Amino acid sequence: MIKTVGIIGAGTMGSGIAQVAALARFEVVLHDVSAEALKKAMDRIKSDFRRSVERQKITATEATEALAAIHPRKDLHDLGDSDFIVEAAIEDLEVKRKIFKDLDQIVGPGVVLATNTSSLSITAVGSLTNTPECVVGMHFFNPAPVMKLVEVVRGKHTSDGTAKETCDLAVTMGKTPVVCKDTPGFIVNRVARPFYGEALRLLGEGVAPVEQIDRIVKAEGGFRMGPFELMDLIGIDVNYAVTKSVYDQFFHEPRFRPHPIQRQMVESGMLGRKTKKGFYSYEE
Amino acid sequence: MKKRICILGDSPLVEEFAALCLNKGYTVQARLNASGAVGVRLPKGVKKILRPTKANDFALELTNIERERKKKNLIELDKALPSKTPIFSSSVTFRGGEQATWISHPDRLMGLGALPTLIEGSLVEFAPTQFSDVSVRDAAGRFAQSLGKESEFVQDSVGLVMPRILCMLVNEACFAMGEGVAVPRDIDTAMKLGTNYPHGPLEWAARIGPRHVAAVVSALHIGFGEERYRVAPMLQNAALVNAFRENRV
Ligand SMILES: NC(=O)c1ccc[n+]([C@@H]2O[C@H](COP(=O)([O-])OP(=O)(O)OC[C@H]3O[C@@H](n4cnc5c(N)ncnc54)[C@H](O)[C@@H]3O)[C@@H](O)[C@H]2O)c1
Repeated sequence: MIKTVGIIGAGTMGSGIAQVAALARFEVVLHDVSAEALKKAMDRIKSDFRRSVERQKITATEATEALAAIHPRKDLHDLGDSDFIVEAAIEDLEVKRKIFKDLDQIVGPGVVLATNTSSLSITAVGSLTNTPECVVGMHFFNPAPVMKLVEVVRGKHTSDGTAKETCDLAVTMGKTPVVCKDTPGFIVNRVARPFYGEALRLLGEGVAPVEQIDRIVKAEGGFRMGPFELMDLIGIDVNYAVTKSVYDQFFHEPRFRPHPIQRQMVESGMLGRKTKKGFYSYEE
Repeated sequence: MKKRICILGDSPLVEEFAALCLNKGYTVQARLNASGAVGVRLPKGVKKILRPTKANDFALELTNIERERKKKNLIELDKALPSKTPIFSSSVTFRGGEQATWISHPDRLMGLGALPTLIEGSLVEFAPTQFSDVSVRDAAGRFAQSLGKESEFVQDSVGLVMPRILCMLVNEACFAMGEGVAVPRDIDTAMKLGTNYPHGPLEWAARIGPRHVAAVVSALHIGFGEERYRVAPMLQNAALVNAFRENRV
């Protein structure tokens, strides 16, 4: 029985996952190396809960209880009583491997060690632990409290039991799990590549301009957002990095080749909404 | 006077367009390429024809799969219809510019982004060729409007915009499925919930018909000569099964 979920990294994803876990009535130990990140995370969670109460999505009691169930901690050793670990620290293989190696000494035997990585190999992340069969990918989507999907990624050594426990936890958290193999981009970040890649090519070949491609994709295809609007929202730099990572990990498979337009946008500092300029302009 | 339209081509495109045109008040005549197709039925009220007749205001040629068939259909329409009657011809697998060279009145041909299910959207994609007359462009806009749709005009290029993006998404989903990355249902769920796609790529492919999807990807492969556009083995297989079923009498 899982009672306490330990979460590592209190950034965008970690704080969102903590929020989801607390609302699902788990005790949550939220760890980050940065006290400031922990404080920011708690503030963000508090204001999110307040908004949810205002919108009558949860009751005031539920919010108070959930908030009280989240325990911010600066020491990794405070995760010792966790029954399940979700790691959402920065996307850096060496940092993650160190965390997983340290966890060996801290958590009890058989505790599932899940990583929220978007682009690293689950097998590589788990390779330094004594229990690689307990290591699994648990890939939430941003924003974690809103997005329903969780990709449960099976590494080379992940056991059936670990995968099942992770799926069950996702369901308890109100999410829909899908199981996939440890391959670059997992499902979503891989299958979605042509949405951006072909749109960029169409633009580059002069078949249609940005606004027209977006209009067509929405009105003809029924997509909620066009590829260029979506790249602006995600961040053109972030989207470019994902493309490059999938391309490199597939040993330069041409289907995933990034487009020079992406690189040039990044070089020009036009990264999308966050810089108020991308494929569209967002200046008032 | 009711507008009259003649529709020739592949299933299920012909059925989809015929039903919509009927619904919008057209008098519709139609002919399907594979007459023995399984599960294919032209909507009630559509006149099944052997040869296109002269008295039509527009013609639609909706063959995506077989080049020779498409050529024959276009030549037939070109001969039967008065020289100014517009022909909107699907140009997702064969470029409109090339199709125009097959007929005696190339100025009346306008490329059309016809892929099954896309007619459910609120926009029709057209691609003028280097021969297309401006009057045909106007006629295309009016035709779309009569179906209750907006229109966009893009450059004549294999796959145009939406069919190319969509078929390449399906192709990638088929690669992933073939490599055992996940089961088909999970791939569909992931794309709907993880990135808000209106349908999962694999269920979408089943509705479009794998044969049409494979035809578009394969046309891109031929057109660009790049490995990037090779057809996923799973899609190839599904297209073969699809073809087998459709051609069985
Ligand atoms: N942002 C997204 O859209 C998204 C979506 C899905 C998955 N992810 C993945 O989630 C993970 C976190 O991403 P994020 O966007 O929340 O990043 P973020 O930068 O917002 O947060 C990362 C946090 O990790 C902390 N940290 C760094 N080193 C640490 C260590 N050794 N121990 C504990 N904490 C440490 C940092 O202080 C920071 O607060 C990454 O692996 C990323 O790939 C991100």
